[in-house]
This record gives sequence, structure tokens and C-alpha cells, in this order.
Amino acid sequence: MSAGRDDDPRIKGIKSKIRVVPDFPKPGIMFQDITTLLLAPNVFKDTIDLFVERYKNKNISVVAGIEARGFIFGPPIALAIGAKFVPLRKPRKLPGEVMSEEYILEYGSDCLEMHIGAVEQGERALVVDDLIATGGTLCAAMKLLERAGAEVVECACLIELPDLKGRERLNGKPLYVLVESH
Amino acid sequence: MNALTGNSLKISRVNIVSKKFQRHSPSGNSVTLKSPNTSTNFQPIRATVTGGADSGETHSTVLSTESARDQLRPDMAASPDVTDGRIAGISAAIRVIPDFPKPGILFQDITTLLLDPKAFKDTIDLFVERYKDKDISVVAGIEARGFIFGPPIALAIGAKFVPIRKPNKLPGEVISEEYSLEYGTDKMEMHVGAVQAGERALVIDDLIATGGTLCAAISLLERVGVQVVECACVIELADLKGRDRLGDRPLFVLVSSI
Repeated sequence: MSAGRDDDPRIKGIKSKIRVVPDFPKPGIMFQDITTLLLAPNVFKDTIDLFVERYKNKNISVVAGIEARGFIFGPPIALAIGAKFVPLRKPRKLPGEVMSEEYILEYGSDCLEMHIGAVEQGERALVVDDLIATGGTLCAAMKLLERAGAEVVECACLIELPDLKGRERLNGKPLYVLVESH
Repeated sequence: MNALTGNSLKISRVNIVSKKFQRHSPSGNSVTLKSPNTSTNFQPIRATVTGGADSGETHSTVLSTESARDQLRPDMAASPDVTDGRIAGISAAIRVIPDFPKPGILFQDITTLLLDPKAFKDTIDLFVERYKDKDISVVAGIEARGFIFGPPIALAIGAKFVPIRKPNKLPGEVISEEYSLEYGTDKMEMHVGAVQAGERALVIDDLIATGGTLCAAISLLERVGVQVVECACVIELADLKGRDRLGDRPLFVLVSSI
């Protein structure tokens, strides 16, 4: 699944460009900031290339990106592999008719929405976000796509926080990440 | 293409631009654009121009280069060449949703454009062609739909991408710029250190309405010494006069909606 990824010389550069910001958004959280990676054009390009190389021959017709940082990485991948890009958004942002999926937060719940008609039965989809933590958001994203009849081929993130065990929350769906942060 | 995509707003833009072109074309034949229902009906305008130095022959050319167009219309082009066949496809792929987010507003929905890989690619290509040789080192994209168009442009021209965000989203040290809404104010933020004085920047969003958000983004960049070379949007709502609010900062849009 991630064969050869750790050996890829581009990974070191990618890892080095991610900035860790302590105590954001609240004390005790070490926030993985990808904006510094976006300031290094070659490294940003490497990031996209790694995903594109993996997915370009997999007949993916949909790349779904989770608001908002999934909007940064999803579209370049979609463009390169000739797939549609579908934004998955917080409530009341998408203007047309939507389907919603609720998911649990540490305190309370939130909702992810997708336009009805964006995805068709039988399409093969990728879900993209910058990071997987508990997996709650990715799970909701997968459910939306599956409810619309698409097959989620894989979830793709730059960063995984393995200690939060998000991978287990994906109901056996494959997860591909570039770097892990403990 | 999406069945929900309406036609009326796009048709008016295409016809108006074609009339402008006919007024300026020096001689020869031009083809009136038919109102397209689909991008495949779009006919590029052709005009005859005097050919090479010696022969004196005239030849038919699709005027698709900026230098050729500037001979006809010397002012800096604020919109792409109307002969570009890609514009009709882009325009047709934008869906208009009435009464969103509130009654009376006609919302320009670009998500349908993103469902059309060719139209999405054409959109990016049009921006990239314009900016790739302009020494742009920064593409700043406004949350959230500017995040969709900005990064592909930045990647293609080798520039940094800088997200301009709503308050409390960026984790590091930020600078803020407040701007007016119809009722009240809002704020945009940018990371300290993302850009350096003297850099040349592009500001990207999906749409310009009143220009308030774009103005705030420009302020953030100019406050740290960056030169905003141009603002670029897919759509302009011309009646809201956002272009005037940008003052002398150039604005480039692909589709103007009336």
C-alpha cells in the first residue's frame, strides 16, 4: 500500500517543511502546520507528485477534498489525473441541494455536506485532506460518497497522527499518508 | 455539464464582448458569435490581417495572442481574448443558484465547473498563461474557494501559495485586516513571514462582488511590502463595481456576469 514511500527521497523534504505549532488551537495540542510546506514550491510540487504517481492509473474519476485544507491538495491531484474535484463542506456553504453526514467531535458534533448530483453511482473516488487525526471527518466524507453510490478507493493525507488511531475508524478502507507524526 | 446550469447570464457576456471586438477589428470578416447552449457551438471570431512583409497577402488568423489583440485594443486587457474557445465552456459550466444565501441573491456556483475536468483545466491554464512570465513569486488565495484555484496556478508558475484565512484558523503568528460587510465587519489573516517585502504577488478568489474581501487581502500583502501585481477571479459581478473599489490595482476575470 505505501510500498517504497519511506524510501522516497522527497519525503524527507516534505517532513522538514511541516511546522509544528504548540498549543494550537488549545493547550496540549501540537498543531501540524502545512502552510510552511506551501511556501516551498518544489516541496509542494513533490507532495502532489507523490499522490499523482500513486493514483493516475487507478481509474479514479472523483477527488473529494475536505474543507478547507483538502481544497489545497485535492484540486492539483484531480487536475493531474483528469478527475472531477468535489468539495466537502461545513454546513450551509454549498448553495445547491446537499446531502449531510453528521460526525462526533470531542464535545458535540459537526456536519459535512456534499452537493447532490456531484458524484454518480459507480464512480471511483479518492478522499483527500491534509491530516488524519481521529478519523471522524474522513469517515463522514467516506459515508457521503458511499451514500451517493461511489466506491471510495482510498483516503489520502499528508500527515497521520497514528496515536489517535484514525486508521481504525475507516472501516477497513485503505489509507495512504506521506508522513507520520507521533 | 450540469443540467442545472442556466444560460442567461453567460449569453449576455459572450454577445457583449463580441460586439466590442467587431468595433475594433480593422477590416475583413468577423463571425458573430451564436448564443451558445453548449461549448461545442462556440465559433471563434476570425479576422483578416495583412500578412508577411513582402507578399502583401492577407491571411486569416484566429487572434489568440496577446500582442495581436493589443494592436486592436491598446489598453491592458482586463479579460481574456474573446476568441479563446475555452471561455464559453467555462462560462457554461458555472451554475447560478437563485436566492442563496438569501432571497434576491443569484449565487454563482463554481462547483459545477470543478465537475468538468476539461473546463477546470482550461480555467487554470488561462491564468497560468497570463502569469507564467510575470515573475510572480506569491499566489495568495482567499479562503475557501480561492484555495481551489490558487494552488494549481502557484504550482504551475513555481510560486509560493499563501492562504488568506478567516480569523483563528491559521496556527502561527498572524497579521489581520478588518473589512466592512453589509452589516458589521469581518477579518482576514495571513501568517507573519509568509511573504517578504519586494515580492510580486497575485491575489486569487473565485469571484469578485463588492471587492471588500479582495481589498482586505491586498492590504495585508501591501502592509508587508509586497507588490500586488494583479487580482484574478473566475467571475466578476460587474454591477457591484468591485473593480472600482480596487482602484488602480488591475483585475483580471474570465467571466463577467451582469
